[in-house]
Amino acid sequence: MSPLPTDSPEKGLIRRNAVYLTTIFAGAFAFEIAYDTGSNKIWDAMNRGRQWKDIKQRYMVAAEEDDE
Amino acid sequence: MSLSAASTSLLRAGARQLPTSRVAVASCQQQRGIAEATKPTFSSPFASASSSTSKIPDFSKYASKKSPRSNQVFSYFMAGSLGLASAVGAKATVQDFLVNMSASADVLAQAKVEIGLATIPEGKNVIIKWRGKPVFIRHRTAGEIQEAEDIAWEGLRDPQPDADRVQKPEWLVMLGVCTHLGCVPIGEAGDYGGWFCPCHGSHYDISGRIRKGPAPLNLEVPQYNFPTEDTLVIG
Amino acid sequence: MLARTVARSVPFRGIARQSLNRSSTRASSSSAGAESANSPFNLTVTASVATAVAAGSAAYLYGQEAFASTPAEEGLHPTAYPWEHAKWNKTFDHAGLRRGFQVYREVCASCHSLTRVPWRSFVGVMHTVDEMKAFAEENEYDTEPNDQGEIEKRPGKLSDYIPAPYPNEEAARAANGGALPPDLSLIVKGRHGGCDYIFSLLTGYPDEPPAGATVAEGMNFNPYFPGTGIAMARVLFDGVVEYEDGTPATTSQMAKDVVEFLNWAAEPEMDDRKKMGVKAIALLSGLFAISVWVKRYKWSPIKTRKLVYNPPVSRR
Repeated sequence: MSPLPTDSPEKGLIRRNAVYLTTIFAGAFAFEIAYDTGSNKIWDAMNRGRQWKDIKQRYMVAAEEDDE
Repeated sequence: MSLSAASTSLLRAGARQLPTSRVAVASCQQQRGIAEATKPTFSSPFASASSSTSKIPDFSKYASKKSPRSNQVFSYFMAGSLGLASAVGAKATVQDFLVNMSASADVLAQAKVEIGLATIPEGKNVIIKWRGKPVFIRHRTAGEIQEAEDIAWEGLRDPQPDADRVQKPEWLVMLGVCTHLGCVPIGEAGDYGGWFCPCHGSHYDISGRIRKGPAPLNLEVPQYNFPTEDTLVIG
Repeated sequence: MLARTVARSVPFRGIARQSLNRSSTRASSSSAGAESANSPFNLTVTASVATAVAAGSAAYLYGQEAFASTPAEEGLHPTAYPWEHAKWNKTFDHAGLRRGFQVYREVCASCHSLTRVPWRSFVGVMHTVDEMKAFAEENEYDTEPNDQGEIEKRPGKLSDYIPAPYPNEEAARAANGGALPPDLSLIVKGRHGGCDYIFSLLTGYPDEPPAGATVAEGMNFNPYFPGTGIAMARVLFDGVVEYEDGTPATTSQMAKDVVEFLNWAAEPEMDDRKKMGVKAIALLSGLFAISVWVKRYKWSPIKTRKLVYNPPVSRR
């Protein structure tokens, strides 16, 4: 393999197999977190106002007022 | 992969040799033409140069316009993405199977016991069941706290200061299982004002430490905390 | 594979039919009517008639719709309602669940148990911890035997399950004229039509049974109930509960809320299931697309290679 061009940003990731594999596995964890966060965000946006976290304000506040 | 590589290289070599062989065939034929009149002739059953079918088509319009290097980087990127997505899927699958083996929600819900402390008067023992085992809760008096703290604990069989065994000095919470053979000790009994195990005569003091008898260790302290002033959660 | 064999067999059948036609025309054109019964034409006619008879009798026997019960016995099919929570990207309306639990508590719970649902499962879904603790403590549960072997009563905890209104099936039947009110924990999964059926049942009681319908003593007429005679009377009337959030408590509103609540009780994991399904489908689609690319990449040298063969030429 001839060396990659020096200006390529991927150069560092691809040249050595160990670095390549490490990047893939580290990226897998990062991707999973991002994927879960993103899909939860979309889910919450689709279900705005329907979930407990959207309505619990009413009942939490009411309970505190009852205590006082 | 290696097979295809070999075949491509073979093909390439064949194509490269072609012009020379064609020239050779042509020259043969010319010679043959001269000798035809006199000698018996041999004509090759294979295609002659004039009717050659080995015309290599022009593949150049299929060739990538980009530089080979950027194509390579792209292919590495795609292979890496495949590995990445597979790793995510594999991890999620394995994780789901492992989580499946952990304690279920109904077991976890029973793993904690909440006790109201307001009903326990000072100087009284309460025994409750937690995960099938008895738990002693004693509301200690100031004198008992003093007694438990003043003992020279360094010389005991299982040396432990009272401060390590309680979170709040007035509340002593222990598993009611004798560390010898697992009997349940009797409260407010024994030579040291604490607990006494009737099975083999182990005496525990007012901090639940072993003082006399066969038991090797102090009574075990479970995990607990006080979420509010007068509630206790064990577990 | 199957499709391929079928596709392959079609031309064969066509060929066979052609040859049959050919042979029959040949037979008729030969006009040898006195020839024996073994002539190809007669054979063809016999085979055709036999096939027609076999196919016809099979169609007669199996083609008819067979009913094991009359429509009245089966019950009216419920209307398919556009349940919002049944969509692939929607969760339950949790305020509706809270109202539905109120309807269950105040109306259904006097006869129907919900034994597979613990108090703790409401926490963080439709009630706060303190509310659920208060609900749980309203009920008494048996303790473990004490030193004397006696079983005492203690107030409920979050880890306890919702108590049943009757101690056992016999008591439930005795109190309800021989009919057993079913447990509602999994009723949405356990009835044909699910939400639609229960909603239709709750709201489908006519004011009086239609003319000609026979209703047994102690039974009520409901067209959606299999057999039309149901022991449960209509329970949901406008304003039978008073919602704390001010929603008008009409019959259909209460039925909708309690059906949604019962659907939650039957599958509290619905949100996770939907999310997981969509995520898995998206990830696997991406994986599939990339794997198609990788396959093309790996195969491209093999697919694009050319084998050159110079065939022998005929002598001049």
